[in-house]
Amino acid sequence: MVETGEGSKTDAAGQAFREGFIEADGFCIRLMEAGQGPPLLHLHGAGGLRLTRGHDLLSQRRRVVAFEMPGFGRSPENTRTRTMEELAATMATAALRLGIDTFDLMGTSFGGKVALWLAVQQPERVRALVLEAPAAIRPVGTEPPSGSAEEIARRLYAHPERLGRLPVIDPAVQTKTRALVGRLRGPDRDPELENRLRGLTTPALVLFGTLDRVIPPEMGRIYKALIPNCHLVFVYDAGHGISVDRPEAFAEIAADFLERREAFVISRADTLIHP
Amino acid sequence: MKVSYFETGRYNVSPDLPREWPVPSAAYDPATGAEAFRGMVERAKFVEALGFDWVSVSEHHYSPRILTPSPVVSAAWLAARTEKIKIALLGPIVPSSNPIRIAEELAMLDTMAPGRIVVGLLRGTPNEHLGYDLNPREARERTDEGMELILRAWAEPQPFGWQGRYFQYRTVSIWPRPQHGPHPPTYALGTSAEAADFAARNRIGLGVSYGTFDLVAKSTRYYREQCIRYGWEPGPDDILYRANMILAETDDAAEAALSRRGAQPGFPLRAALRDALVQADQRNIGGEKRPAHVSGVLPISFCGGPDRVVEQIRHCREVVGAGVLDLSLQDPGSGTVDAMLRALELFGDKVLPRIREI
Repeated sequence: MVETGEGSKTDAAGQAFREGFIEADGFCIRLMEAGQGPPLLHLHGAGGLRLTRGHDLLSQRRRVVAFEMPGFGRSPENTRTRTMEELAATMATAALRLGIDTFDLMGTSFGGKVALWLAVQQPERVRALVLEAPAAIRPVGTEPPSGSAEEIARRLYAHPERLGRLPVIDPAVQTKTRALVGRLRGPDRDPELENRLRGLTTPALVLFGTLDRVIPPEMGRIYKALIPNCHLVFVYDAGHGISVDRPEAFAEIAADFLERREAFVISRADTLIHP
Repeated sequence: MKVSYFETGRYNVSPDLPREWPVPSAAYDPATGAEAFRGMVERAKFVEALGFDWVSVSEHHYSPRILTPSPVVSAAWLAARTEKIKIALLGPIVPSSNPIRIAEELAMLDTMAPGRIVVGLLRGTPNEHLGYDLNPREARERTDEGMELILRAWAEPQPFGWQGRYFQYRTVSIWPRPQHGPHPPTYALGTSAEAADFAARNRIGLGVSYGTFDLVAKSTRYYREQCIRYGWEPGPDDILYRANMILAETDDAAEAALSRRGAQPGFPLRAALRDALVQADQRNIGGEKRPAHVSGVLPISFCGGPDRVVEQIRHCREVVGAGVLDLSLQDPGSGTVDAMLRALELFGDKVLPRIREI
């Protein structure tokens, strides 16, 4: 990793991404896109879309489309979507409108739950899943991070200094988003989703940071036990926002899994010192 | 107070044996080596009968002065031939090992000798890093990550992968698992702030060694502060102190033994190598910078007849807070085994019964 100065690293994340918009279910959905190759769609966490160095690194190997789901960020308030299932269906439609029929799907935290709903609804379209600290299974009473930008960053990241400048929180966006997430996030354990996960055959990679302070990394066990074709990997020294805390480690394993699926467990590390 | 006897293999070192580390293995005598390992069992049985709580073993390489490159093999050897004494591995050198292998082997031991295995996880002395070509500048971080991976491998019920900074695994799922709880009683070994932070965060013990009471107390104080920060308070058994003791029938006899002590370092290195290692290996005590201990003589922490030693142990408890003492009653690679056994017997007879309530 090349550090060019304090605050410059993640501030510069996403420079190669171009903004676009697509209509789906009556929503005008903003997206950021970069890279060439097989499409990888990304669904963000409860805080909204934030491009990281992880996105940059993945976009060097694939076409990355990071959506801003309706009601988050700059989009108008979303009072129509009632459930995670509906949100997942809208995002699947958005992909279709982009001309993307089948795709790899990555979900972060809240977006991990949306991604799982999408995969159980339209399994034929999802080639593989990468779930970054998914929030579909939570200890009872888990609350999303709140407070000042600094407090939120301290809870989300093991290394908030790698963010560069803290994001500026717009109170109007925060209020609107919190209401939406509160309405959609569903119970800490969702029996219907979990039941459907038992029949999901899509290859899935579940990543948890060993220092996750939002959702205990031990929740990863439950995904591994539920989803038939699931790989659980702990990312050392990362918090909830793995792609900010350890972008190289995050992108390497995500890309390797998407390229090789189950075979990614076979090491290709070159340990020959001198021929 | 619990007491542990530090068993080092006791290879009978002839006076003409080279001292400089690494010691040429041409000087190794197989019969002496075999006798050393037979003796390990005899001494473990001896201290078990005296009422010692643990016998400890360590990992050191390329020297007759401590003849145990594999603490796991030592522990299996002793556990199978003793009845109830606990076997403490103090400890596997984590940064130059495969952490998954350590987790597996310790779980095996814990299954073979349920409730009798104690684990200390160690960064290792600087000379040990030469043996397996470990960059001393990476040793601290490899230790921290390796320790975390070992705890995870013991605890995790589902197959998992590890995307580390120094270690990477895509498939881990160990069998057997430890017998009780998430893991056997475990200590992070070392005086550094990093070791204490790790121990506090993971609710395990801290093992310190060889410094004066005041010096190691900096480390144990820091550890207790960190434990409070993580919402728990360590008990006496959570603090382990390894130290040297000279015990004799009287204070005068002990003082005389101290003055006769040949001040030879256990693992002497050439001066230029020693200096380069000190440069490369940054250490601290509870966050306070301190040069690595390389090629030096280890101090004597307790010295006297039984009465004085009991008072020193009481003072140690107050200052350091240690509830477990891991003792050497004779420098490794020096003196006769018989003299050490007599000192151990005196300890078991005249000291041990009087420190139980400390």
